[in-house]
Amino acid sequence: MTLSTESIDGDITRVMLDGRLDIQGAAAIDLKMNVLAGSARNLLLDLTNVSFLGSMGLRSIVLPAQTVKRRGGKLALLNPTPMVEEVLKASNIGEIIPIYHDLDAAVAALR
Amino acid sequence: MSETMLEESQNRLQLDSQLSELSRVPPWVEDLGVRHGLAAETRYAINLCLEETLANVILHGYKGQPGHPIVIQASCSGDSLFLAVEDKAPPFIPSDPGQRTGVAGSLGNMPLGGNGIHLIYRFAASVDYQPLPDGNRLILGFPTIAAKKIAV
Repeated sequence: MTLSTESIDGDITRVMLDGRLDIQGAAAIDLKMNVLAGSARNLLLDLTNVSFLGSMGLRSIVLPAQTVKRRGGKLALLNPTPMVEEVLKASNIGEIIPIYHDLDAAVAALR
Repeated sequence: MSETMLEESQNRLQLDSQLSELSRVPPWVEDLGVRHGLAAETRYAINLCLEETLANVILHGYKGQPGHPIVIQASCSGDSLFLAVEDKAPPFIPSDPGQRTGVAGSLGNMPLGGNGIHLIYRFAASVDYQPLPDGNRLILGFPTIAAKKIAV
């Protein structure tokens, strides 16, 4: 699991994840995610290249989302694959953290 | 090795009770999927259910201690593929947690854990627990013909 970032419109940090967000993938990004959640105003997690999401990966999404919210910001998810989205919805996380399949719509929601 | 013995060995995976061993599961599932012609959605569901099951066994059953065996045995019956996960940990019955409710609208209060068993029951077509004299056996069933329709 790899993680890279880019700034969009200053207040939005797009976090691009690549690989399996399983137990080992979650362990690989947790520290970086926590640092980003503690410093960025709004986070857009780009899941386009996440091929697998398990329960430990869900923690890696929910915890930063909670941190960003406490700091007055927002977190949104971008472009999960159908099966990754099934996991998000089965966990009810999809009802709380917004999911977008269009970058412009996601950016507009985070502004 | 005879063809039958080769097939039996391909249908069996033994792991040690440490999280690093989980990396051996996806390639084994991929091979299983190719040999049984499983849909991509079914392979995903198998990977998900095995990761959650094995993590539970390692972290809770064996308390994170390495050196204990976990065996996965695959077998086909009719239109289903069954995966029996056996361990020698203290008895642990993964009951169906039912529908997750009360989470919506409360990001701040959303629990970080508790999704694993819920996901197993949502993504496996069947879940059967059998106590063993010295451990546990969890049998997960998946369709071999078409992907299980997952209602969300």
